[in-house]
Amino acid sequence: MTPDGSGKPLCGVITVKLGLVIDLDTCVGCHACAVACKEWNDGSPVSGPLSDYQPFGAEPSGVWFNRVRHYEVGDYPASKTINFPMSCMHCADADCVTVCPTGASYKREDGIVLVDQDKCMGCNLCAWACPYGARELDRSSGTMKKCTLCVDRINDERLPEEERQPACVLACPTHARFFGDFDDPDSQVSRLTAERGGFGLLPELGFAPVNRYLPPREPKPLTGLEDARSLLERGLASLASPLIRR
Amino acid sequence: MMMYHSWDSQNAWLRQILSRNFLYMNRATAGASGLADDDWVWVESHHGRIRCQLKTMEGCEPHTVWTWNAVGRQRGTSGLAEDASEATAGFLLNHLISELLPASGARRFTNSDPVTGQAAWFDLRVRVRKCAPDETGIQPTFSAAKRRPDDDGSRPDVLHWTRGE
Repeated sequence: MTPDGSGKPLCGVITVKLGLVIDLDTCVGCHACAVACKEWNDGSPVSGPLSDYQPFGAEPSGVWFNRVRHYEVGDYPASKTINFPMSCMHCADADCVTVCPTGASYKREDGIVLVDQDKCMGCNLCAWACPYGARELDRSSGTMKKCTLCVDRINDERLPEEERQPACVLACPTHARFFGDFDDPDSQVSRLTAERGGFGLLPELGFAPVNRYLPPREPKPLTGLEDARSLLERGLASLASPLIRR
Repeated sequence: MMMYHSWDSQNAWLRQILSRNFLYMNRATAGASGLADDDWVWVESHHGRIRCQLKTMEGCEPHTVWTWNAVGRQRGTSGLAEDASEATAGFLLNHLISELLPASGARRFTNSDPVTGQAAWFDLRVRVRKCAPDETGIQPTFSAAKRRPDDDGSRPDVLHWTRGE
């Protein structure tokens, strides 16, 4: 709804809703996005260090903005592994911002939810409000940290335009991650969401998460399997025989 | 599918993703054999045996077991603390696998893939059986590696990284 309630865009008013699309069909669960995220954001001016505890000890742990879970769906042989990266959903109605007693948590006009490290007192209210587990308390600094959508990359005009994207998106080897403006119906993220039935997590809670997940595609049944197999075997035999006849 | 990251490094970030391994087995096969998640099992081949901990899963062929390789460490190596989980829970399959194929005439062949020459770590027949209740912990184990003279054995409790200009 536009400010005058008419539904028509007002001249000069541009709305932006930045977020991620994550393709669960092509994600292979390699954690490259999580590591690239930590590499870019650790020690950044926005968040400071992302501390690691017992880094070489018995139970290593630390602050990560992006974590990949792995699930199995179905029983053998019709089972499938689902790799599930999760980070801040940059909710349109972000309860983590509403509950913050110091005003450290805030939502920018482009939709990004951030924490002002100078105002945060580490009270944990936002972590309890977030149903996605996206908030990470840094026990060393005593402040809350979270995904910034690489806010210090995406508008940096010193970077080549194609690199003005979150580090996780740039790192993904299977191109399972996309960054863009969900308010623009012609953007890549909007089109992918529409074409592939992209969904948000826990919409029933009413926080209006922005990030979208693309469901795994249904595998197509193989046709002419026996033909393909005999063709493959003949092909392999002709290829391999000069190699292994020695 | 994360393990390729940390081959032989076990660095401070990657080991937060994976710092120990399990032996993975098809869930129905395990159930039929009286095995369950987190059981300690002996894995025996013609060449040797190891003791390790089991996890069951659906996405594994019923007569195949597998694990992430190269997670197990001798205590005190890779710059890790001596109680690091790589040394207390991680294990290697090396102890099960011979470097040579069985003798055939005068010549011995390496246990390698005939086409690529890669070590043949994919066709070893093993027996898996549940350990006795008092049999826990990985086997075999070795004494801690000798430390370098400049290493006092201490490891930091917390790491902070700052971005350089």
